Amino acid sequence: MSTATASHNIGHITQVIGSTFDVEYAEDRLPAIYNAVKIVSEHKGVKINLTGEVQQHLGGGRVRCVALGSTDGLLRGQECLDTGEPVKVPVGKNTLGRVFNITGEPVDGRGPVEAEEYWPIHREPPALRDLSTKTELFETGIKVIDLLTPFVRGGKAGLFGGAGLGKTVILTELIARIATAHGGYSVFAGVGERTREGTSLWLEMQEAKIGDTGRSVIDQTCMVFGQMNEPPGARLRVALSALTMAEYFRDKTGADTLLFIDNIFRFSQAGSEVSALLGRMPSAVGYQPTLATEMGALQERIASTTRGAVTSIQAVYVPADDPTDPAPATAFGQLDAFVYLERSISEKGIYPAVDPLASNSRILDPQYVGERHFKCARRVQTILQRYRELQDIIAILGVDELAEEDKMVVHRARRIERFLSQPFLVAEVFTGKPGEITPIAETIRSFEEICEGKWDHLPEDAFMYVGAIEQAEAQWKKSQKK
Amino acid sequence: MANPRILDKRRRSIRNIRKITRTMELIATARFKKAMDRASAATAFTNRMTTLVKDLLASGLEVQHPLLETRSDTRHATMLVLTANRGLCGGFNGNLQRAGFHRWHELTSAIPNCRLEVVGKRGIAALKFRGITPHESYTHFEDKPTFEEVDVIASRYLEEYIAGKLDRLDVVYTKFESIARQHVVIETLLPLGGIGSGTSPGTARGAEASSTPAASGGRTSLYEFLPSPESILEEVVPASFKIKLFKCFLDSAVSEQIARMVAMKAATENAGDLIHRLSMQYNRARQSRITSELMDVIGGVEALS
Repeated sequence: MSTATASHNIGHITQVIGSTFDVEYAEDRLPAIYNAVKIVSEHKGVKINLTGEVQQHLGGGRVRCVALGSTDGLLRGQECLDTGEPVKVPVGKNTLGRVFNITGEPVDGRGPVEAEEYWPIHREPPALRDLSTKTELFETGIKVIDLLTPFVRGGKAGLFGGAGLGKTVILTELIARIATAHGGYSVFAGVGERTREGTSLWLEMQEAKIGDTGRSVIDQTCMVFGQMNEPPGARLRVALSALTMAEYFRDKTGADTLLFIDNIFRFSQAGSEVSALLGRMPSAVGYQPTLATEMGALQERIASTTRGAVTSIQAVYVPADDPTDPAPATAFGQLDAFVYLERSISEKGIYPAVDPLASNSRILDPQYVGERHFKCARRVQTILQRYRELQDIIAILGVDELAEEDKMVVHRARRIERFLSQPFLVAEVFTGKPGEITPIAETIRSFEEICEGKWDHLPEDAFMYVGAIEQAEAQWKKSQKK
Repeated sequence: MANPRILDKRRRSIRNIRKITRTMELIATARFKKAMDRASAATAFTNRMTTLVKDLLASGLEVQHPLLETRSDTRHATMLVLTANRGLCGGFNGNLQRAGFHRWHELTSAIPNCRLEVVGKRGIAALKFRGITPHESYTHFEDKPTFEEVDVIASRYLEEYIAGKLDRLDVVYTKFESIARQHVVIETLLPLGGIGSGTSPGTARGAEASSTPAASGGRTSLYEFLPSPESILEEVVPASFKIKLFKCFLDSAVSEQIARMVAMKAATENAGDLIHRLSMQYNRARQSRITSELMDVIGGVEALS
């Protein structure tokens, strides 16, 4: 950090309210909105090193700031330095392999980062004319995602789900699948989630190798964490810090960059925590009135330009399993592909618990994925849709009362449902099965054959946790031998 | 939170379904009683008839009747499946279809000329779905099959059998044992071996009940027959076959009503459970909407004050 630049503009704290505080400056030397202010002091043995961000000008020379760290031990009258610029984070190749906090300080205990450049975390989104309009499929090797919610290269994908449905598992799985085969850089933002998960991801990345190069995934990745334990200000801005680093790779190196965010809901949540303290009136369900603005400002910056592409995968927590909650609903509108995780599916023991009917993708369109893929996906959805409609009748009258055609639909739907599960690379220790990477052509062929009834003779269990359809057959034969 | 309006709509439609299933349960109960009376009346007659034939055979005569002789090679076989005209009776039709298909595959692979005859719309529909066209189908048997209607079919079988166009007749139906027990049986009604010796070829378990230890003893009868045992046999053997077939129809009718009664009772209960669950979800969804709106209003007031 470039401390105490030119101005030496010093104010004094007049009020501390939770994670916000007011500072009084000379009327003619007010720090600008979004400027970083620093408090470095020691009072009765309590050391304080706090950065804040100016949010409001209150009049009378006072500004209201959001603390990006803990406000414990803050006193009225303490000196507060205006740095004259927004929070800046180190960017560039020297950040690779490192772990940062919100203000760009390394937290992995490997010494200071020698970065050539520092960029402010508040930046303009790319201009209209610079945006890339290329639409290309991004293969993941996960059957249900490739078939029903194909990801877009240079696009944004969201993983929606309630508590404990495996959002983070899918996200780490995607990192394991994509980052290991990926030539460009990756940036991971941990927003308001468990610190333990962040640590284990960091360790995993050190072990995982990229392709055959012998280099660790972490060598091409930088991570930024502002986890649950941090005050709302940190969680509110940490996504921007990570995004700024990703933007550098996009704009300066032109490389394909991956940006993983876990969890974007915490960003909205942090916003709502500070919103009331800043004196804004709460809006629907107690969220900040600026929910859509904040989300839009963040999401618009995650964009692919003609210089380089940023492919972003974001986990979105859905509070109380209610997708109409304003926070996930706002995030929803920003995404190219959204994967919705459903509790009733995870209760059946099917992982990834993707709801094949609620999930969708912008590019599931014959124009982008091709006629065959599109038709296959729609056919699978039609069968599952019909099955869902029949569920009440089955619950009341039993399967025997269905018409023969409907019995067949139920028969195949139950197989398709199970075939959408897949063993994960990162879940090998839990499932006891090695992860399966299924090429998209195999996926489509397998589902087509199930829809046509070629595999009606296999029992339902055979379809659980396999890759291509031939593995289901092999699994069945193996279980018969026993 | 789920949409309360959609939940309420679902709950209403399930209430309607429950109304229907409850009514059907009551109707099935009433019909079952009638069918049951008919069947038990026929049981007495059938048993008496069987004893009569046994007595005749036990009188030490050399029995000569075309229906009683076993044929060494079976070239023509017919399978008759008794299903229901209507659904909503649980596994009744499904079980018959499964057993029927299994036997049909066995028959067609063993015997060159096979005919498939089906009673009941449900069976016909199931066959159609599998791409099999039955050689003969009947849909006019309701829950009160009359002897005259069955007689037409039975007489045809007898004629074909005597003419050598039919060597074996299998009937797939649901046997009624008690109110709590009905199960699918496959009985070989022709050749009529079962009446005399009790060692009928290829008979399913149901038919074995007709042979008693007395029949195999071969004692001379206590009765005198007038005019002669032969002429009585001439009449009685075909009649016995007809009654047996008629009994199959009656059993099937009773079983269908019981199956419907049980299925509808379960359906009504299931619908009740579902309504209960939906009501709970609906109330929760409604209350949570109210709560969140109240919170918004109160929060807004708080923030303004």
